[in-house]
Amino acid sequence: MGLEAYVVVATILFGLGIACLITRRNVIYVLMGIEMILNSANINFVAFNRFNGDGMDGRMFAIFVIILAAAEAAVALGIVLNVFQLFGTVKPSDVDLLRE
Amino acid sequence: MEYWDGMKAIAPELWLTGFALLALLVDLLTKGRNSRTVGYVTLAGLGVTALALMGQSERVTAFGMVEVDAFGRFFKLFTLAALAVVCVFVMSDRRERQHGIGEYYFLLLGAAVGIFFMVSTNNLLLLVLGLELLSLASYSLAGFHKGNKASAEAALKYVIFGGLSAGVMIFGISLLYGLTGTIDLAEMATLGGEGLPRGLVSQLAASPIPVGIAVTMVLAGFAYKISAVPFHFWTPDVYQGAPTPVTTFLAVASKAAGFGALLRFLGVMFVRGDVQGLVADYGGQVGLLIAVLAAITMTVGNVSALGQSSLKRLLAFSSVAHAGYLLMGVATMNNEGFSAALYYMAAYYFMNLGAFGVVLYFEGVNGNDHIDSLKGLGRKAPLVSIVMVAFLVSLTGLPPTMGYYGKFLLFTAAIDNGMTWLAVIAGLNSAISLFYYFRIAKALFLEEPSDESVPRTQPIFTGMLTAFGVCTVLFGLYVSPIMQWVVSSMDLLG
Repeated sequence: MGLEAYVVVATILFGLGIACLITRRNVIYVLMGIEMILNSANINFVAFNRFNGDGMDGRMFAIFVIILAAAEAAVALGIVLNVFQLFGTVKPSDVDLLRE
Repeated sequence: MEYWDGMKAIAPELWLTGFALLALLVDLLTKGRNSRTVGYVTLAGLGVTALALMGQSERVTAFGMVEVDAFGRFFKLFTLAALAVVCVFVMSDRRERQHGIGEYYFLLLGAAVGIFFMVSTNNLLLLVLGLELLSLASYSLAGFHKGNKASAEAALKYVIFGGLSAGVMIFGISLLYGLTGTIDLAEMATLGGEGLPRGLVSQLAASPIPVGIAVTMVLAGFAYKISAVPFHFWTPDVYQGAPTPVTTFLAVASKAAGFGALLRFLGVMFVRGDVQGLVADYGGQVGLLIAVLAAITMTVGNVSALGQSSLKRLLAFSSVAHAGYLLMGVATMNNEGFSAALYYMAAYYFMNLGAFGVVLYFEGVNGNDHIDSLKGLGRKAPLVSIVMVAFLVSLTGLPPTMGYYGKFLLFTAAIDNGMTWLAVIAGLNSAISLFYYFRIAKALFLEEPSDESVPRTQPIFTGMLTAFGVCTVLFGLYVSPIMQWVVSSMDLLG
């Protein structure tokens, strides 16, 4: 299997992540969309490293992105939990006090 | 001994990390009962770090990743100075002063560590890590008032937009890595040639479109940090909902960090002398893209600010507009424009910290940040009100203030580089901004007070704001000290 296959899968996953972010009204789905975007980048990093990189840069990057995704999910879920306690909902469109 | 030389080069970052942990420890030992002590520990940490920074003079690369140079030092000292003021804001804010807020300082210091790394690296991995460290601390800070609905909503919006733009940026970096085979900016720009697989130049020779997509995606991450259009949607809500000291931090330190990293990214990749010809030509087109973004950003910011009645929201749109002005200097893609942006950043420090300080002061007086509640305060709190007018004059860009000279430099840089149209748009925008800035001045001085109560005086706070006001005017008339610092800091492109 060539490099193209990996890049195509990564690009589709990226597109799905963006679509998930835009169309879903529930915060949990939005966070899943962000995870999908980050993981599509991971596929790219590992595939590029395998096919035309000569060091470990791409693989290292992928490992750090996994860590980042975990840290971000932890903080984001903490914030979502707080929002849920205060507003009783996890839909961003219902969390809408701040406006003119 | 290479290891210890590297550790010595990143001593400021190590001090900062150490003091962040110490702040957490002190908070633990005092069982959260005496958060003021933690504030003093934080201020001490900032001081020690500043001393460590000023002790560095030679230009080194630590661990092949961290560039220790005067350009990074400019943004690091800027961050420390901004954080010190934010700390004083937290400690003297009447509504903020409760117990158990030791983590506040820990998060501020953690964010500073992130900023330190992101402004001083050519390595995209370290750039992303620094940026995310800053972002994660900022999300938590924005939602720090756990029982407050506005604060919770601000944090939610911040984390969603932040996650999206970070994801897009990392995807863009993965494409850049795939195209060039390296995550080091300097290598990308200098390596390669006709027929060689590595380096940007061979990719550009083949087709500029993939590189364009990758670079645009990376720029999205920066645009979010500096709140440039079209990644500015979070700005008004987060600025309004977050605690005011946090808003100050986001508006000044976080935005400056975004600009520092952006300038280094563009400078090392497209502008530096050792960059290959084809890549440098391509940089001109990226500059054009940024110029268009700058024009849209300043227009959207200024026009949206016109109808605002919340001071924090108004200043949020004003900060979007200022991102546009600063991008004007970035768009020139040369030393002149970058230096102008650096000077404007220094001006931005004084006038925006001052303006947010005054908002904090009036919030303490009125209990809200509504523009109507400012009516007649010019008579009740004359000194702070006069200082506020100085900040507003500077934000508009009228003489004799730092804002005026900064804009003068930015306009000159744009015109010298054949972007007269951009300077014209910026001039029109400054005229628009006059309307909303002077609505504040009008409310302060030309309208009758709604009641007769007299605000309590806060001598330390008033003194600090007055000092900022004096600096805004003084350094506007006597520009050489700041200008010299800026010129000596521009070793990025050398």
